[in-house]
Amino acid sequence: MNELGLEAATLEHAQTGRTDPDAVDATLAASGDASAFERLYRNHVTRVYGLVRRMLSDDDADEVAQDIFVRAWQKLGTFRGEAAFGTWLHRLAVNVILARRETLGTRRKRYLEGDAVLEMIPARRPGPEMAMDFETAMARLPEGAREVFVLHDVEGYRHEEIAEMLGLATGTSKSQLHRARMALRQHLGR
Amino acid sequence: MSDQWTNRLSEYLDGELTDGERIALEAHLQSCGECSSVLTDLRQVVARARMLEHEAPHHDLWPGIAQRIGATVGETRTVDLGSRRAARRWSFSLPQLAAAGIALMTLSGGAVWLLHSPGQQNLAPPSAIVPSGNPRAINAAVNPRGNATQSYAAAVADLERVLASGRGQLDTTTIRVIEQNLAAIDRAIAQAQRALDADPANLYLNTHLAETMRRKLDLLRQAAALVPVT
Amino acid sequence: MLLALVTGALALVATQQTDTSVTVGRGQRLEVNAYGGGITVSAWNRNAVRVEANTSGADRVEISSTATTVSVRTQGRHGPPSEIELKISAPPWMALSLAGVHTNVKVQGCQAPVSVETVEGEVDVGGGNGLVSLRSVQGSVSLQGAKGRISVNSVNEDVEVTKSTGDIMAETVNGEITLDLVDATTVDASTVNGDISYNGPVRNGGRYSFSTHNGDITLTVADGTNASVAVSTYNGEFESEFPVPLSGMRKGKGFNFTLGTGSAQVTLESFQGTIQLIRPGGEKDRERQRERHHRDEDH
Repeated sequence: MNELGLEAATLEHAQTGRTDPDAVDATLAASGDASAFERLYRNHVTRVYGLVRRMLSDDDADEVAQDIFVRAWQKLGTFRGEAAFGTWLHRLAVNVILARRETLGTRRKRYLEGDAVLEMIPARRPGPEMAMDFETAMARLPEGAREVFVLHDVEGYRHEEIAEMLGLATGTSKSQLHRARMALRQHLGR
Repeated sequence: MSDQWTNRLSEYLDGELTDGERIALEAHLQSCGECSSVLTDLRQVVARARMLEHEAPHHDLWPGIAQRIGATVGETRTVDLGSRRAARRWSFSLPQLAAAGIALMTLSGGAVWLLHSPGQQNLAPPSAIVPSGNPRAINAAVNPRGNATQSYAAAVADLERVLASGRGQLDTTTIRVIEQNLAAIDRAIAQAQRALDADPANLYLNTHLAETMRRKLDLLRQAAALVPVT
Repeated sequence: MLLALVTGALALVATQQTDTSVTVGRGQRLEVNAYGGGITVSAWNRNAVRVEANTSGADRVEISSTATTVSVRTQGRHGPPSEIELKISAPPWMALSLAGVHTNVKVQGCQAPVSVETVEGEVDVGGGNGLVSLRSVQGSVSLQGAKGRISVNSVNEDVEVTKSTGDIMAETVNGEITLDLVDATTVDASTVNGDISYNGPVRNGGRYSFSTHNGDITLTVADGTNASVAVSTYNGEFESEFPVPLSGMRKGKGFNFTLGTGSAQVTLESFQGTIQLIRPGGEKDRERQRERHHRDEDH
């Protein structure tokens, strides 16, 4: 037994969940500790990779995921610890993804109005793997609707945040989300 | 086919209507079976989205990153991605819980129970509930991700359909309270899932997620039981 | 004692005012079903059930009695009845089963099993012995002075158990759980959005489990407590008013420690709240008592 020898006091922060090991590693990595940064990479790569795949495509995922971590290494000095490291990294990832999309030179109108979104995904008979069918349907959503759907329903951002990130009006974010959901309801696999 | 309210259903689901709009839409839902059905579907879309798993990269990206940031990649590191993926595969519904002897069992009627296997003492929280009657049990341990995900989603869907079909017979305040609390549980599930994605081997997060999902099913069952039998 | 058992249905149709007594005997239970309004059951020293109510012309109170059960039911002529306040007196030994929809339920002085179920109503029970099960969806649930296997559930409001003993299961979704001056050997308290507080001994061999997603947990731990404590949190904090000896870090954001012999099992889990241990009579306990006192005064 290790008596901490504290008088009536809070348990040393080193033992509490508050001391987010990520925050500790981020501080170390900011001062050049690559091993600490590798730990951060290992903890967060799955989620970042998933975000990239869903917002862009499988083809670009490896490269963009690497870009995100390289960018995070460069920007570590700006991580203040007010939010969780994962949250900070996630925001940075979204920014990199959006910038990447601009570089890819997507020209087509992203945010379809009307029922065009609904027409783009033909209804299919549900297969045995409901999750696969749903993901495939997501991938076939028009870019803008997919972006909003992934950020809101998969990643949990609010419309105000999405609007700010994507340069949209909040109302557009809401209508895109609704259209994405309406298109996807045919692929629930009942 | 849609009416003026169909396009507002997502906002209603996300709690973004004004009080006046919400009351008007709820009044509309009492008599519009189609909108009720769409609302149920939208809720399931959202639930499905929240349950989506993230897939790890097919190969380790670290060497490329290390090179770009100028880190010294010392001795060759071989990361066993196989074991990592195995852990990831279990993270949604049967992670270390299975190794620890807890089976996620889906019983007829859509109840999901957490049961301790005999001999496991120090796992928390002990949410063992003895089911009454003779339920048909599907042991999801055989094909954890597929069966458990589908079973849970199917159970939630079944109960949501019962609730949707009976919403015209329930007090609007009751419906709103139930939906708000379902949304609160969904948010908790989403937060737990996100945390788990970042730390798939965390036993607390795994049991916490499973327990929160059980709370959702409990609430849905409780709500469905309020619908008068016709 | 002469047991007067009334077999078959004895339906009494009330007009404006109901004031009816039915003699009862040991072994009979009381079942009340009131769609809306209130059910108040108070214990008295007679072996009889008295039902008092005022009803409009369209509604009535039906009272029937069989060998095992005295049934009180409100009925409307067309559809559910309007809100009716039922005032019932019953012997303390009589088990109670009280149900309603838009119904507040209040019980005083019962020394038998109690089951209450309502949807939009508050539940306030003083007493209860054996199996005590209280449930509301939209209302708060409050229990005092019960003994036995206790289950208190709400969905949208707080649940509170005070001055009770036995095994306690307390659940809510959007509310706080307060277990004050309880003496329990098994506790299972769980909420999603809300704090949990437990003020009572932690008995040797007992099992105490507290879990919340968005909320704090406050556990009062007396000097000399023997418990193995497991703390889990994802994004929360841990505080203790007294030194805590760590016996090991568990994987992820959690740790264990042992107090005394470690006899009881205590599990404290909050996804993103503060888990704190306080001493009875200590500064935080006194502060908490003051807050409770102010809150009670406001009601």
